[in-house]
Amino acid sequence: MMVETGIPALDKHLHGGVPQGKSLLYYADPGVECNVFGMQTVHRALSEGGRGIYVTSSTDPRMIRDLFEEFGWGAGEYGDRFTIVDGFSGLIGANSPEQYVVPNPDDAGSMTQSIKQMMEDVCEPSVIVFESLSTIMDLCGESATLDAIEEWNKYAMLYDHVIVYNFTAWPYSEDTLAHVKETICNSVVLIGGIAAKVIFGQYFGVKKTDWDEATKKCTLYKVLKPGGVRVYLPKILVTGPFDAGKTTFVHALSTKAVSVDRLGTTVALDYGHVDHSGFTADIFGTPGQERFDPIVKLLSGEAMGVFLILDSTNTNDFARAKRMLEITESIGLPVVIVANKQDMKGALVPEEIRRKLGMTDDVPIMPVVAASCEGVFEAFDVLVDRVMEVDST
Amino acid sequence: MTYNLGISKMDELIGDIKGGTNIMMIGPPMSGKDDITNIIAYHGLINKNAAVIVSTREPGKNVLDWFENRALGIPPEHIGIVDCVTRTLGFGAPDTENIKMASSPVDLTGIGVKISQFFERFWMEMQIKETRLCINSLSTILMYSNLQTVFRFLHVFTGRVKAANMLGVYVIEDGMHDDKTIVTLKQLFDGMIEIRGDDGDYQIRAIGLSPKPTPWFDYEIDGVNIVLRG
Ligand SMILES: Nc1nc2c(ncn2[C@@H]2O[C@H](COP(=O)(O)OP(=O)(O)OP(=O)(O)O)[C@@H](O)[C@H]2O)c(=O)[nH]1
Ligand SMILES: [Mg+2]
Repeated sequence: MMVETGIPALDKHLHGGVPQGKSLLYYADPGVECNVFGMQTVHRALSEGGRGIYVTSSTDPRMIRDLFEEFGWGAGEYGDRFTIVDGFSGLIGANSPEQYVVPNPDDAGSMTQSIKQMMEDVCEPSVIVFESLSTIMDLCGESATLDAIEEWNKYAMLYDHVIVYNFTAWPYSEDTLAHVKETICNSVVLIGGIAAKVIFGQYFGVKKTDWDEATKKCTLYKVLKPGGVRVYLPKILVTGPFDAGKTTFVHALSTKAVSVDRLGTTVALDYGHVDHSGFTADIFGTPGQERFDPIVKLLSGEAMGVFLILDSTNTNDFARAKRMLEITESIGLPVVIVANKQDMKGALVPEEIRRKLGMTDDVPIMPVVAASCEGVFEAFDVLVDRVMEVDST
Repeated sequence: MTYNLGISKMDELIGDIKGGTNIMMIGPPMSGKDDITNIIAYHGLINKNAAVIVSTREPGKNVLDWFENRALGIPPEHIGIVDCVTRTLGFGAPDTENIKMASSPVDLTGIGVKISQFFERFWMEMQIKETRLCINSLSTILMYSNLQTVFRFLHVFTGRVKAANMLGVYVIEDGMHDDKTIVTLKQLFDGMIEIRGDDGDYQIRAIGLSPKPTPWFDYEIDGVNIVLRG
């Protein structure tokens, strides 16, 4: 059985998730938010009714549930299916309210003892997430920790647990880093920062799995509160003729949006931020009138996908619509045609529109009523699917 | 891209400090290192720099109060504080505009993430190219993590300060650490601000920021000014 990571795009790259009894390492550049990956994975298990164990190393256990709540994950509802192994309190000599407390978190043997004890008690297959393997390594020493991990993984396999480590790749020795990356776990997901002077973007990608040929590609992501890890599409364009409903469409999709309109027509752009089904996207609507074509050109640079909005009742504008696609130089970029205003009398159905436009079958045409949000998210899902496909080739 | 500390006579002797410089500030307890650190940050803020302050002994709120109480006319949106204290007290405070929470001084991963997030905001979103990073203090971090661990952490962040032409200031308690610790960490820094003395009678000087060390100055802290004598 596969255990999902809770990050849909990652589960897809892993062909469904992590098989029971296997281990996964989130290997992150310093400064890149990585703990959320492990948290999201344990949250996924818990929200599916499974059991989750969180081994903390640098956080007071009283704070752990709050951290989950920050992402909108109702840790309060996990009940006793959620167990914390407290590898922090022992470090600062504090009392711990938790059932499993590591007396000496700076001793690998002491860690192992608590972890084994917990695994024996919790015999139903669970997801065990280590808040920070690098912290354990810092406290217990590199070689002692590497040996211990081998033991923990073996034990987890015995009980069919999935074991997940967050690891920050500080400048340890080359050997240690190579060992962590190549050998200690069944699978490794790299989490990195795009840096020029400062880190300004983040990506993840599967480095290896030993159970299947994983899809090796880098996916941009953002961390939302609430929300967690979201695949990030920095630029999706919404274009189409005058009055087709672009502004309405952008607002229908977006959790927040702004438009620069004058007298009901867009004169600069629409901007919206979408958060839907594991994806977050910044979408940019162009003006429709011909006199703004230079702006459209400007906006279309570096777009990842395009919505072409049509007023399904207004065939006069179809030629203009096709020309706009060309302006955006988006032929070649993934496109979804949005057949808007399906609620109006005389609206053509998608297939009629396809014929009139002379569009080939491979361009999806989605029926939408932007004014009442009908079909907008379906159209979004279709475009995202196509963007992700292009991305992986 | 150059920086000044905001300590008048000393600045004159040192001249402009070039971007990418990492400075260790070492001095005895009670010598006013917190104030001096904040004043160096303040001096950047009044000159439209941004400041990221990692606070390991005071809750972030107190650090923000320091600026709000003393320092008029600085842009509050240029201040970023990484608070390593509040959550260790068992308070579940969420991040705010100015204060981001790390779990504890052990949580170097989290501290690193929060520093990076402020860097990204100041550099990419606000287009501020001059940022000061102040870590106050390394001594607390060294209480929970061993020297090697702290060295690795600093190796990464002094490197980023250098790459982005920022100014880094890292505070250390004199007398709390063995020589090996100080010698090891010194390798990461371009210069030092040294403080000596006791019982309210302290002197300050800078080493490594100019061809020869500045003389020792008696000093007094007056609001957002460090008044040098001698
Ligand atoms: N009946 C109906 N009307 C719609 C729908 N979507 C948009 N409209 C209306 O169509 C008109 C134009 O909508 P906008 O969203 O401003 O169109 P636009 O493409 O941004 O227009 P420009 O920026 O001027 O090019 C408005 O009056 C909307 O209320 C829809 O699905 N059904
Ligand atoms: Mg519009």
